[in-house]
Amino acid sequence: MYKTQKSYITKDKKMLDLINDNYSLLLCLQHFDIDFSVDNKTVEELCFENNIDINVFIVISNLYNGFFPVENEINKINNITPILQFLKKSHSFYIEDMYPELKYYLGKIKNVHSSIDFQLIEQFFNEYFEEVLEHLKYEEEIAFPYFYSLMRNEKNKQTKSFSAKEYKSHHTDIETKLTDLKNLFLKHIKIKSDLSIKRKFLNTLFGLEFDLKIHSVVEEKLLIPLIERIENELNE
Amino acid sequence: MNKFRKNIAVIEPSKILYEGLIASISKSEYNYSFYNFDSFDEIEIYYLKKEISIVLINPGLVQNRLNDFAKIKKQYPKILWIGIIYSFFDNSILKLFDDTFLITDEVSIIIKKINKLCSNNIGNNHEDGQLSEREIEVLHFIAKGLSNKETADKLNISIHTVNTHRKNIMEKTGIRSLAGLTIYAVSKGIISID
Repeated sequence: MYKTQKSYITKDKKMLDLINDNYSLLLCLQHFDIDFSVDNKTVEELCFENNIDINVFIVISNLYNGFFPVENEINKINNITPILQFLKKSHSFYIEDMYPELKYYLGKIKNVHSSIDFQLIEQFFNEYFEEVLEHLKYEEEIAFPYFYSLMRNEKNKQTKSFSAKEYKSHHTDIETKLTDLKNLFLKHIKIKSDLSIKRKFLNTLFGLEFDLKIHSVVEEKLLIPLIERIENELNE
Repeated sequence: MNKFRKNIAVIEPSKILYEGLIASISKSEYNYSFYNFDSFDEIEIYYLKKEISIVLINPGLVQNRLNDFAKIKKQYPKILWIGIIYSFFDNSILKLFDDTFLITDEVSIIIKKINKLCSNNIGNNHEDGQLSEREIEVLHFIAKGLSNKETADKLNISIHTVNTHRKNIMEKTGIRSLAGLTIYAVSKGIISID
């Protein structure tokens, strides 16, 4: 699904133009560990320089521009390592950037607004992030090692096996609660506080939501089908 | 006129048609956001995040998957389906849609059709977001942590009715998790925290 204004990313386009077009791509670059001083380089040159699979980069960066990958783009991808590296980097972003930032703003709001409503929201937020962290832990401790073992052509030796269904249900919960948090703030609860702080909090929340959405599309549309393909090949 | 934004999904394989269609419809005074999907399966992924009011779809994508189409229609009864017609389709297929338009129709006619369907649908759209008395009673028990069954027993209604109320509460408040509903209930004084 996509909204139609932004340009579709191809290997010959200049990264600088693309960033000027949509600065959310900076976050995408960060997740791929590509520096922002992109000079006059094209997408292909940057990927080559940073040793990144260009097919993976094009599909994922296009998600930041709102373009959903089509089947033949997905089929071109046959290496899960760059996807896992991207996901791992996004995890650090959630844990090290987003979470402390949101917590900081909530703390600021709390200084002027300490009613029961707000305490509940804070509790909701903490429980929500607990869940997010748990999911990330599940990915890094159960899912990712399993995927890597598949790449090494090993049959599944783990006792606790990975389940695509469980994976997806985590995502749904995480996204539902994030929407709830936004709606509580925007629709229902009047919180007395500095507008500027509330805006920063919401800004960060929207940013997190945007990135989490892409995160789950990458997992569900790119990673899981690829895993299923490898599993089938191993079983043959 | 309905001032709330409607999310419209467009499922049309021809990019030229898609771009042309939304460029034309976007110029209307109504507040529409358009999303392009490759197939109607994607609606399921997307619906949790944003409610889709209308789907404009090429009937060619439906005719070989009638069972799946029926399933998705049943799953999302509020979505209205409009067929984008530019070739011949059997009447039995066209009947499955809430309305259809020809790509040769005047833009104003197409917009009128979309908008007419939207406003017919306002009745169950919970525009004002106010909970009814019964919904408040249901929320009271749910927020206290009672199960659907227990709530049904307390209010002397069926579980099915509790479920319907619950769904409406979620739609009206935009809050879907139990923890979130509890905060809502406290903030509106529906329950108090001891």
